[in-house]
Amino acid sequence: MEYVDLIRSRASEEHFLLGNLAIVRGALESGIDVYTYYPGTPSSEVGEAFTKLYREVGMRWVENSINEKVAVEVAGAAYARGAKVMVGMKNAGLNVAADPLFALATTRPKNENSACVILVADDPQQYSSAIEMDSRYYLKLFKIPALEPSNPQECLEYTKYAFEISRKLKIPVMLRLVTMVSHARSNVKFGDLMHSEIKDDFDLSPEVNVASRLYFLNLKEEQIYTRMNQALNLSENSPLNKIMSENSLNEYGLGIIASGVSFSYVLEALEHLQIKAPILKLGFIHPLPERKIAEFIKSFKNVFVVEENDAYLETQILAIAQKNELQTKIYGKDPFSYSRENSLLSFVGELNPTKIAQALEKITDLPNKIIANQIKDDKYNTVKRKPVLCPGCPYGVIGYALRESLKKLSAKKPENVYFYQDIGCYTLLSFPPYSFANVKYCMGSSIALAQGVAHTDDSLNIAIIGDGTFFHSGIPALLNGVYNKAPILILILDNGWIGMTGQQPHPGSDTKYYKEGRYKNKIDLEKFLEGTGAKLNIIKRQDHNTKNYPKRLKDLIYEKSLNVLENGELHVILIEDECIQKFNENNILKIRYVDEKLCTNCGICYDQFSCSALYEQDNKACINRNECLGCGICEDLCPNNAILRGEENEL
Amino acid sequence: MNYNNYTIVITGLGGQGLIKLLQILGDSLVRKGYKVMTSEKHGLSQRGGMVTCFLRFGDMIAAPIPIIGSAEMIITTEKSCILNVLQYANPNKSTKFIITEYKKAILDSKYPSDKDISDILKNYSNHLYFLSSENFPKNQKTTNLFVLGYILKFLPIEKNDIELILKDYFSGEFQAINQEALINGIKYQR
Ligand SMILES: Cc1ncc(C[n+]2csc(CCOP(=O)(O)OP(=O)(O)O)c2C)c(N)n1
Ligand code: SF4
Ligand code: SF4
Repeated sequence: MEYVDLIRSRASEEHFLLGNLAIVRGALESGIDVYTYYPGTPSSEVGEAFTKLYREVGMRWVENSINEKVAVEVAGAAYARGAKVMVGMKNAGLNVAADPLFALATTRPKNENSACVILVADDPQQYSSAIEMDSRYYLKLFKIPALEPSNPQECLEYTKYAFEISRKLKIPVMLRLVTMVSHARSNVKFGDLMHSEIKDDFDLSPEVNVASRLYFLNLKEEQIYTRMNQALNLSENSPLNKIMSENSLNEYGLGIIASGVSFSYVLEALEHLQIKAPILKLGFIHPLPERKIAEFIKSFKNVFVVEENDAYLETQILAIAQKNELQTKIYGKDPFSYSRENSLLSFVGELNPTKIAQALEKITDLPNKIIANQIKDDKYNTVKRKPVLCPGCPYGVIGYALRESLKKLSAKKPENVYFYQDIGCYTLLSFPPYSFANVKYCMGSSIALAQGVAHTDDSLNIAIIGDGTFFHSGIPALLNGVYNKAPILILILDNGWIGMTGQQPHPGSDTKYYKEGRYKNKIDLEKFLEGTGAKLNIIKRQDHNTKNYPKRLKDLIYEKSLNVLENGELHVILIEDECIQKFNENNILKIRYVDEKLCTNCGICYDQFSCSALYEQDNKACINRNECLGCGICEDLCPNNAILRGEENEL
Repeated sequence: MNYNNYTIVITGLGGQGLIKLLQILGDSLVRKGYKVMTSEKHGLSQRGGMVTCFLRFGDMIAAPIPIIGSAEMIITTEKSCILNVLQYANPNKSTKFIITEYKKAILDSKYPSDKDISDILKNYSNHLYFLSSENFPKNQKTTNLFVLGYILKFLPIEKNDIELILKDYFSGEFQAINQEALINGIKYQR
């Protein structure tokens, strides 16, 4: 399925579709006007699709914003003015967006068309995140309605509901996803596309959209006691909260409550154990339908609440049972005990049908049927592969140069050296064989973390941050460091793109090399850095043939580290070398090979430097021709000129 | 064969085209009228990390992840990766194992020997199919289509069904290369 099929396909056609793309279609069937986002796995495909489609389909605006806070502000004001908007982000992005979202949730546009959907994709088991975080608790803080689809078809339908609820109640609605829904593919039946209904009546009365001491409490009062009250009514009567297999009672007096993808896991587990049970499936997850839940619980001796990560549903269900004086035993995570023994399901990690079946066996005292097809041979269970940098990644040589310069430095200056890492492909430099990470939190934190130690210690403190992350949230921390004269070294790794999530552009990307670029300005990072007044050095790889780059890089890092220690000033080194995946799209590169007669097996290329295409075989260096992309660094490094250029790469 | 609830586990390394394989196979099944569900477990865009995917089809399936012990087929495009997904093999040893002989060294860990791997796999399945690497396409990027061609004989889809949609997934010369890999996979005999 191509992106354009999302707008060319007609109603009632069925397609094999990714959950994220079903959301795009659902939004187009709702007459969306504006989509703003910041990329982050597993939510990024939504933004990529809208970016490709929005002109053809006649939406007003789509942007890949500089960060999630800005994305919420841009979309929020468009919502205030009368547009149907959606904002997309991953779990951690919601933390960045929380400040404006709090006010946005309370304001109340009067325009008939206004609707706002907040799409948040959580990542249980943190397949592609630095943290595991359950966004649902934000719902209590923001006091906004939320829907949670369990499969791609529901992604489409719930997106439409979300727009409808928001348009009706004038309150943002969260669409909560997890990786196994965003990145699931399944049959999806399409509905009719809807055209934008935006009208030009921007209501300018301040009590509507201005969060301030004059109006806020009134708005908040109205948000909670009117709009959320209406939302509760919708939730009580919504077909999204429904009892499935109502008549399939069992001998255990057991009913189940589940939402989202966990619901589908429950079905698998029950099928496997050959147990039948009524299930209350919650699709409208905030506010929870108290009456419906109490009614459901009342008819069972035991109720098992199945949810991934936090006990968001369970704590509320326990309260509902208590308030309604119900004696039903509630099974789940026993959230108040903080005890692993009491938990049938864990707060930590991804859920799956197997874990649920095992919990059900405990509740029902069934003989253990999940003969846990445990891996019987432990010998190789630990064969786990760590992710590695792409062959030819510019960060490989940076890691090498950094290590070499520090070796030289430690001979001269014995102070401790500490590293602060950020979020991007370069995070892999935190692990062996490099291990450049002592403190790391979230996007944009490295520069300030270095300051915290530098002000309290005589060590050398080095922050490592990518260009994308620098634009997202590193800039204020740099200004803070310059202003406060923090004695730190900052390496800004400018690979031109957001490599980690698939080479998306950011404000510093070359506008020639992405389609949307012709509508954008490139921010000149060099000029920007000069303007901050920080001591600045710029080093470029220029093209991928320049001799001596590793040595130049090593010398520069060494020299500037000394400067920081000696003059106590903040130094920035801007390292410009493009992500090889992107460079490879626009340049013809030649695979390297090893001339065995010249190779003395010194190990510099495969051992001191490390590229996943390079290894040792039969006492010689060897290059895997199917993996080498042809960056040429190993050729530069080889002291015996044993690495030569071969054919063009086909990758 | 009853295709009410059929689960395939596919594992290998990032960059081997597993997601494409999943898409093409899933798409062709949907066009044949099956209910299909796929999911992916992997890290970010760097290459070389382990990827595990599930493809499930039939009227009975509900979830994107199967219960352990319930797969009909396990495919690996990198030999040792299969050792990480054995819990999905049916305890009655009926699960088909499709093992490509391609090996990629493991950082800071010894690669298991061929004998060790075979011995372990025999504990889990009576249906082992090894695809030897001499027969692989020269362009490793098409191993996924080669494997797809090979497994067609076990599934309710024909060569035609795949060929029909290849153009949606590859353009220009890549279409021809992948088509060739598919046919080589179909023809492959040990
Ligand atoms: C708040 C937040 N938003 C989004 C992400 C997803 N994400 C991870 S790394 C990254 C950008 C990395 O870009 P850059 O710093 O240029 O590093 P590169 O991957 O190019 O090396 C993004 C957007 C995140 N981890 N946290
Ligand atoms: S040229 Fe050398 S360093 Fe670059 S990708 Fe190929 S083997 Fe790796
Ligand atoms: S995607 Fe780019 S920056 Fe990331 S590891 Fe690969 S080459 Fe390096």
